[in-house]
Amino acid sequence: MDLRRAESARRLRTSTALCLIYLVALAGCGGGSRPPEIADRTLVTVWMHSGQEPERNTIVDQVNRFNESQDEVEVSLTVIPEGSYNAQVQAAALSNDLPDLLDFDGPFLYNYVWQGHLLPIDDLLPEEIRNDLLPSILKQGSYRGNRYSIGTFDSGLCLYANQSLLAEVGARIPQTIDDAWTVEEFDSLLEALAKKDQDHAVLDLKVNYTGEWYCYAFSPVVQSAGGDLIERNTYQKAKGSLDSPEAIEAMKHIQAWFQKGYVDPNLDDRSFIDGRVALSWSGHWDYNRYHENIGDDLVLIPLPDFGEGSKTGMGSWNWSITAKAQHPEAAMKFLEFLLEPDEVLAMANANGAVPATRTAIAMSEKYKNDGPLDLFVRQLEKSAVPRPATPAYPVITTVFERAFQQIRHGADVQETLSDAAREIDQDISDNQGYRNLR
Amino acid sequence: MRKNSIIAVFMALPALTGLTLFVAVPFLIAVFLSFTNLRLGSPLPTEWVGHQQFVRILSDESVLRAILNNVVFAVSVVPIQTALALGLALLANQRLRGVTLFRTAFFMPVVFPMSLVAVVWSLIYAPGVDGALNGLLHQMTLGAWAAKDFLHDPALALPAIILMSIWQGVGLQMLILLAGIQSIPDHLYEAASIDGATAWKQFWHVTLPQLRNTLITTVFITTILAFRLFDQIYILTQGGPNNATTTIMFEAVTSTFRRQQVARGAAITVVFFLMVLGITMVQRRLSQEVVDA
Repeated sequence: MDLRRAESARRLRTSTALCLIYLVALAGCGGGSRPPEIADRTLVTVWMHSGQEPERNTIVDQVNRFNESQDEVEVSLTVIPEGSYNAQVQAAALSNDLPDLLDFDGPFLYNYVWQGHLLPIDDLLPEEIRNDLLPSILKQGSYRGNRYSIGTFDSGLCLYANQSLLAEVGARIPQTIDDAWTVEEFDSLLEALAKKDQDHAVLDLKVNYTGEWYCYAFSPVVQSAGGDLIERNTYQKAKGSLDSPEAIEAMKHIQAWFQKGYVDPNLDDRSFIDGRVALSWSGHWDYNRYHENIGDDLVLIPLPDFGEGSKTGMGSWNWSITAKAQHPEAAMKFLEFLLEPDEVLAMANANGAVPATRTAIAMSEKYKNDGPLDLFVRQLEKSAVPRPATPAYPVITTVFERAFQQIRHGADVQETLSDAAREIDQDISDNQGYRNLR
Repeated sequence: MRKNSIIAVFMALPALTGLTLFVAVPFLIAVFLSFTNLRLGSPLPTEWVGHQQFVRILSDESVLRAILNNVVFAVSVVPIQTALALGLALLANQRLRGVTLFRTAFFMPVVFPMSLVAVVWSLIYAPGVDGALNGLLHQMTLGAWAAKDFLHDPALALPAIILMSIWQGVGLQMLILLAGIQSIPDHLYEAASIDGATAWKQFWHVTLPQLRNTLITTVFITTILAFRLFDQIYILTQGGPNNATTTIMFEAVTSTFRRQQVARGAAITVVFFLMVLGITMVQRRLSQEVVDA
């Protein structure tokens, strides 16, 4: 999850329109054929989303390095615009034109598996790599007992704080995840900060973002209180989790922050760097910008503890081998290359995200033990919650976003959450519980 | 006569082909899909579910609110925008120096893409005294105005959208009405002034009756455009706060592309089509009575 993710989720909605057109256009076409080998080397076709420029340059370099480093596998890379990425994948799946290896935004995994597009990689992934990966990467790549995807980087949330503004009200600065502010402590901190603040707005919740942000950033609140988006044993019911008393209580706190005027609308996305607020609820992607502007006053703090310990989001783009890949082991070779410490680091440096392997983390200036962003690693090891592993996720995130907006604008919390839970349950039963088809 | 009608059919063919391919066929597909449970990318077999989608959307609070919002929007935008456009057209029809400049200025917002207009207006409506509108009201009331978050206030969000939509759309009607005004023969005004009619009487007894057909067309177009309200909602409010600005189009698009429930989206568009069809038919009936009277 990064800035562009919220952005891309929004663009995705509009561009999925293309998918419908493809549906009609491709219905009559058969599968294309292509030569599996070019002169003794196994050809592996790879799709990647275009991302930001540094990210794009990095993957192109990586492909070149890989192709030069050995003479068994030849990777052929296609970079696809992020806006219509999912639509293109869906269209390619229908026309049987999927590549051997592709990346996609984390929560799409479950839909793709349900549709039968991806290959389990449990037996292909070398054990030493598996042991080196962050637990969060392993968690989010698994669905119904099998492992399907691996990310080379991960994401995380925290509260960025301006130390000197906190010092003015004598706030305690939590050092560890266990040490996070309790929500009561956080409430009174906001109150104290607001008293000293001219317009009383002291907290940035990035309400200028749209789309995926709300589910990513605020479902950890529900989870920290002991609720969840959905019951996670069978993934069949949101009722009882999303509208549990704990979840309602937690969302009431957030509603109160809005009603008391503590939350800056942040239209210009500069409320924190302009010093209008002392606290910014954001992710790893804001660190560089914040650090340039705030300097040594910047401090990273885990999200507040709503009862069951501080929680955070996780997940980003993932790689998967498709079910139609003729040489899965060759595709895995390239994936192994991308997971080599230097390569993981190259990508993490390009996009600022958390490196996926412990070896790479130890080599990273920012993420190494006691580095400035070490908190994100500790959270991914310990307190990060993956988004629900179910093909119902597109509905869950839409419904949760709407519920959040309603709560923000003063709707009754209990009613809103139980309506939301009912809507999710309806979708699950409409889809026969998203039962396994294969 | 017979030969003429063959030629007529031939001439209409290109337009008819386009309408059939891009309007009629997709609509028929939508009608068909609305009776199924089709879901984007679902491996489950698509099933015939009868009128279930319609029962659901017509008992869904958001969709009902969307219909209400569309009606409120149309009922306020159509008369205000038409009246304003008429006023502007009369002004822009004056023979003054630099009147082209005014015409261009009033028409400019129509040329801008709605996405751009919406972003500009998000700054105008920005909460706090930093927002342009809040700042202006603050100055004008000597500080008595308490800054409002227009787009996130359940009572103000829809009026705010209405205001910016009128500002953006009024230029188009102005242009149509201006063309209508300019096609009124001068001798009617000359005759009227010889009879001693004041400017007001000339407007009431010459301009308005002569503009009748143009006005009816304008009202038709504005009504249909009003029901298609989507862009500014998508960019500015996402249907919020608490469904205060959600619209039928917005509900259809979110159902289909965000929640991947194609059948539900199709059902909403069918309801939308029937509504617009009904309203247009009523308007036609009414306007015919006006013309016949």
